[in-house]
Formats: sequence, structure tokens, C-alpha cells
Amino acid sequence: MKHDAFSKYHPLVSFLFFALTIVFGVVIQHPAYLLAGVLSGGIYLSLLIGKKVFRWLTALIPLFLLVSLVNPLLNHRGSTVLCYVFSNPYTLEALLHGMVTGSIFVIMMLWFACYSQVLTSDKFICLFGRLIPTLSLLLVMVLRLIPSFMRKTSQLTGARKCIGKSGDAVSFRGKVASGMTILSALTDHALEGSITTADSMRSRGYGSGKRTSFQIYRFTPRDFILIAIIAALTSGILAFGGNAATYTPAVEIDRVGVGLICYCALCFIPIILQIKEAVQWRISISRI
Amino acid sequence: MAHIHIEDLSFSYPGANKRCLDSVSVTIEKGEYVLLCGQSGSGKTTLLRHLKSCLAPHGEKQGAILLDGAPLEQLSLREQAAKIGFVMQNPDDQIVTDKVWHELSFGLESLGCDQKTMRLRVAEMASYFGIQDWFHREVSQLSGGQKQLLNLAAIMAMQPEILILDEPTSQLDPLAASDFLSTLRKINTELGTTIFITEHRLEDIYPAADKVLVMDSGRIIAQGEPGEVSQVLWKENHPMFAALPTPVRAFYASGAEGKCPLTVREGRSWLSRAFQNHPPHTLSPAGEETVSEASPALTLRECWYRYEKDSPDILKGVSLSVPQGSLFAVVGANGAGKSTMLKAICQICKPYRGKVELFGVPAHKQKRLFSGCVAMLPQDPKSLFVKATAQEELAEMNTDTVQQERVAALCEISHLLHRHPWDLSGGEQQRLALAKVLLTNPRLLLLDEPTKGLDPFFKIQFAAILQKLKDSGVTILMVSHDVEFCAEYADLTGMFFDGQIITVNTPRAFFSQNSFYTTAANRMSRCVFQGAVTAEDVVSLYKQNQEG
Repeated sequence: MKHDAFSKYHPLVSFLFFALTIVFGVVIQHPAYLLAGVLSGGIYLSLLIGKKVFRWLTALIPLFLLVSLVNPLLNHRGSTVLCYVFSNPYTLEALLHGMVTGSIFVIMMLWFACYSQVLTSDKFICLFGRLIPTLSLLLVMVLRLIPSFMRKTSQLTGARKCIGKSGDAVSFRGKVASGMTILSALTDHALEGSITTADSMRSRGYGSGKRTSFQIYRFTPRDFILIAIIAALTSGILAFGGNAATYTPAVEIDRVGVGLICYCALCFIPIILQIKEAVQWRISISRI
Repeated sequence: MAHIHIEDLSFSYPGANKRCLDSVSVTIEKGEYVLLCGQSGSGKTTLLRHLKSCLAPHGEKQGAILLDGAPLEQLSLREQAAKIGFVMQNPDDQIVTDKVWHELSFGLESLGCDQKTMRLRVAEMASYFGIQDWFHREVSQLSGGQKQLLNLAAIMAMQPEILILDEPTSQLDPLAASDFLSTLRKINTELGTTIFITEHRLEDIYPAADKVLVMDSGRIIAQGEPGEVSQVLWKENHPMFAALPTPVRAFYASGAEGKCPLTVREGRSWLSRAFQNHPPHTLSPAGEETVSEASPALTLRECWYRYEKDSPDILKGVSLSVPQGSLFAVVGANGAGKSTMLKAICQICKPYRGKVELFGVPAHKQKRLFSGCVAMLPQDPKSLFVKATAQEELAEMNTDTVQQERVAALCEISHLLHRHPWDLSGGEQQRLALAKVLLTNPRLLLLDEPTKGLDPFFKIQFAAILQKLKDSGVTILMVSHDVEFCAEYADLTGMFFDGQIITVNTPRAFFSQNSFYTTAANRMSRCVFQGAVTAEDVVSLYKQNQEG
């Protein structure tokens, strides 16, 4: 991940932000809001992962087109008939509604992609670890086991390949049999490893009494200010409204107002922070 | 008052008729650095585990263990966790969490420390161990050496008074191992932590220990300062003598008088003094090594390979020729690409440029590459085990019982065939894995770090098996960190560096022209002799020159 200003805030701030943007993104169907959501999510994702964002776009654009074009095939309501498909009306209203649904999908995917970059597993555990301490330790251990299993699997298959016991048997049965062999060997390794892990945990006092959990993220006044801003913008969006839109049977869209400004401000927070930090950096450099 | 006092401790596992520990009495003072050595299966691990109640094995136990004069059992689990740190062999399995910082704090969390204390202790340990650069990393991205250092740091964060280590460096390469041991030494001298450690590789640690205990079949047969213990072992002609550092072995075997040298430096001054007045007349060991003229079993020509399109090249024009019937050893640093080269020979990685020829035929044209041509023994023998008994393991490779018996006899595992592969000791596992590999009847055998984690006795046994294989016409290519092993047993040695084989020579010529990357015997003796690379070389030269 690239350097990102928003990621440096407390996990609670990030979690709140993503919860709000995703909920608003799904609920609000107003085209201006949708556009703001797609733009902010897309730009933020590109700030986070750089050029890899194009790989996302190549998946998201077909998704958007598919949802948009398929919707009128299933939904025949609306007054402006564009053509007839299988003797059913293909309406403009339904097409617009499909585009809206498609955009909602895109917004959701974009925000979730950003979420997984920003809220890493340890941040998630920092948030929810205190609520369910045992479960959070379990989660940490599982997260540690996954890469180690992957590595073990490739080690086992590699070792077997070098004695001519490769998995690329021709028959389906052969493939299944070889897969099962690897799986059972992997289980042996896992059991053996878990005995050592259990010893290591007990020898470091696990289960000897009450546990605390180490918090690597500290909640600072900076985090508090950002939460206050997010809360203010959210109440702005809810209070000013102007975000209703219906498409079928007829298109009715509210006139935009202060609500949209609040929404844009909310969605663009990470981008604004990034710009702010870049500017500050430039200024502090130029002073030297 | 002694820090740890073990009084007449005896122990036997349930159902076993032999005692695993037999009236062991040991006294360890505060701040002592104590080394426990002995052959595999002599009861070292059992003894260490008794020093921590939660790890002690179940069985019949007699005798007492006193910590600061009070019985160990009187301490609560929490107190024991904080006071006694225990580092185990496998760097990977000991780690519990997914992040470095979390692992450092795990022990403190278990002890219920508050945030402020934890923050300070974690910060302290990270700085002391030089972990701050990888503090936020995922554990899975660390190297073996870093993992073991993390295990040590995670335990030191709890500020233990006693540190117990069970073969902590056996899975590490020599460089990481000596890093680890020097950190341990630093902990001992700077913090005064009492250290009780078992090790196979004694070269570095033996001279540094304050006290050495030698165990044999559950008994302590010698204890005292390193110098005294080596004398006892020599007098008793004990097999453990073969595991002692080169200077010690060379000194006693040459029948020299005076104080026994423990380190290479002391060994040098011993030799210089011995030949001060009459310079040696015979400089190099007798018997010229000859380079085999046999046609090559394996030829690599300008092989280039990288794992991904944008990643750096790992093999950068490797050229190599291994004569038939020889044992060829490739040495070189970690991550230099030695294992990748072996994979390229097996065609697991296909070089994008260059040629791999096996017995004169390009490897990709060999129809049945893995039956009767080439096979590789992986670094971790356990990765070949998939069945419930050793017998089934062999049967998986070849159903012909005559073949199975032949290979089992060759690898000296005939008496182990009914056992579960995981219940065997490290050396036995290695031999079982080798037997499996040999059932493919390879003419070229590839070995990846075969001596990793083996104790000196298993190494000798393993070398004997390799010799038998060579006699039957098998060509062996081995990559290894173990310079001593290569110097003693290889026919040809090559140095791998920066994706290439830099030089190839006979071990004697190879190691005596290197000044750092060479054996302890060579470093010790180069001030008076030329081309002595093993302890035996030094001994025979010493004797020849003293007589003449």
C-alpha cells in the first residue's frame, strides 16, 4: 500500500467512515450522489493501490454494463419504450434504474476495496478484540496459520514433485488421490506444529490468569476532531435531504442542495487529507 | 544460594522400562552460562522440560528441583511463566500471532500487564534486539533467523531470570545461528540472565560456556569447565568427543601437552608455539586429490532463471559440470539461489535461457526424469512423509519388497520400519526420507542441506551411506552451509555467489585458498601448515613434523 494520510488515524475513525460511506452508497439512489460516490471511491482506491486500480476498473466496468443492460429485461415498468425484446418492452426508465443499481454495486466494491487496504486485520482486532478477547486471539492465530499452510502446501508438493510424485496425474482419480495425500500430510504437520504452539503459549503464561490486550493504536485528539467532522457532515446529509430519486414508473429526482455538499465533503475526506498532507509537506520542505 | 538446584532427579516415561533421566544432580549459579550436550536421545530435552512445570512430561518422577532454594512446584504458573523463559527448536511453530509487535506483547498480555508497562517493555525489547525495522511486519515475511530472534525477544520482554533453550539454532543457517548465539551471549553478560542451553554445533558455543554438562543415556557423565570436560571425554574415549570443536579434537588427537585450546585463536597460538623453534618440514597433507575424468552426469550451461516476470534474476548464468560417480558440494550464502539451481535441474523451475543436460541428454527430453534418472532429497525430510508407518512410506514409492529391503538396509532403517515417521529422531527421519528417494533408483541424487539439524554422529552415519551410494555408481550433488562436512566428504566443491558458480576445485584446494569461507581446522592451522582442512589433516601433519 502507498503512503496514505487517512490510514494513520485510529481504526475507529476508519471503521466509522467506511460504515457510513457504504451505507449511504447503498441507500441513496440520487445520480449526483452516485457520481460523487464513484469518483471519491475510485480516486481514493487509486491513491491506495496506484496503477493496480486499472485491474479493478476492468472488472467493474463490465459489471456496471451488465447490471444496467440486464435490468430492463427483467423490469418492464416505465413509460418510454425504447424497443421490444422477446415481445417485452425495454424501457428507458428501467435502463436508468439498472444504471443506478450498477453504480451502487461499483461504489460498494470500491469502498470495500479501500476498506481492506486501510482496515488491516490487526486494526479490526484492535476494534473488536476487547469485546470478545478469546475470539480475537483465535482470529489472530487463524490469520497466522493461513500463510503458513500455503507455504507448507507448496513445500510438500514441491518435495513430492522432486521424487516423481507430482500432482499432475492425468486421470481425475489420480488428481484427487494426490490431493488427499497432500491434505493428510498437511494435517500431520499442522497437528505437530500445534503441539509446539500450545507449549509455547503455556510457557508464556497463557491461561495462567486474567489477560489484557496490547493496544498499538492510540486514540488522539486528532482522531476525535475527525470523528466530530464526520458526525457533523452525517447529520448535515440527513437534515438537508434532497437525495431522493425514483426511476420507475416515472423519473423523479430531487433538486440538489447543501446535502450534496455535505455528502461530497464526507466521501472526499481521505482525499482531502492526502492533499492537505502533501501541501503541508511541500511548505515544510520549502521553508528549509 | 544456587539459582537452580536439581537434586537426584530420575524420570521414566509411562510404560518404559528404562529411565530417561537417571539420578541427575546439577547446580547452576545465578548468571551462569551452562551448556548441556549429548547425543540425540540422551535425555537432554526431557531434563530441560522438567525445569518448567507446564512443559514437564508426564511419567514417574523422583528427586527435587529447587529454584532459589524453593521447590519449583510451589511457584504458580504465572510466576514460572515470568521467571523462566523457554525457547524451543522450531522457529516457526513457536510463534502464536500474525504480527511481530503482537508476538512481542503476547507474554505480557498473558501476564495481565497494563498498557503503559507493555508499551515500554515492547519498545525496550524491540530496540535491544534491533527489531524496530520489522516491528510492523507480518510474521510470515520473516526469515528463520529473524523468527528465532523474535521468539527470544518475546520471552525476554517478560524479563525472565532464567532462559532455557532447546537446540535453538538447529534450524538456522550458520550465519543466523552465530548471530543468535552472540545475542544470547550479550543477554548473559549485560543482563546477567542465567542461561541453560542444549546445542549440537559446539564450535561457537563451547568455548563461551561457563560450565558444560555432558549427558549420556539419562546420566550426567561429565560436568565442569569446558577445558576439564574435554579432557574427561578424551580420557574415556567417549563418542561425544567427536562433537567437540576442531581445536580441542586436534589438540588431544595429536597427543600434545599443555593447556587445551578451545577457540581458533587459541588453536593458532598452540600451533605457532609448537613449531616456534623448528619450523615444520612437511607442509601439506599427503595424498594428492585428483579430479575425476569421468564424463559428466550433469551439465548446466549458462542457465538463467527468475520466479516472476518483473522479479530479479535468481540464476544468472550458472555453468556447472558434475563428473559421474562424484560427490559434488555447492556452498554459498543463504538466499543466493542454491536451492533454485537444484529445482532447475529437476525441471521444477525451467530456466528461460541456457541448457540443463543429464547424462548427455537435455533434461526436458528425459522422458522419465524421476524414475531412474534424478531425484532430490528436500531440506526438511518431513515434507516427504505422508503415511502412518515407515514401511508404508517405502511401499508408496515401490511395491517390490526386495527393493524396499535393500534400500532399508542401505539406509540402516530396517529396525525402524514399523514406526510412525514422525516418531523418529531427526537423523532417522533423514535416512527414511533418503530411502524413499532412493527407491526411484536415481543415478543423480540431489541433496538440499542434508546435514541441517543433524548431530555429529548422524552426520558420520549419513556420510557413510553417501559413500556406499557413490561406490554403487550414484552421482551426488549437494548444496550445503556445512563447510566442515563438505571439506571432509566432498570430491569437488563449488562456491555459489550472485546467481553463479564462482569457482570449482577439490575441497582441499578450495578451502585452503579461502580465508573466511573455510573450515575451523584451516583457519587454525594456516599459520604453520598449508592445505590442512580437517582436524585429521592437522593431527597427521603435527605428528609427522614432531617425529621428524
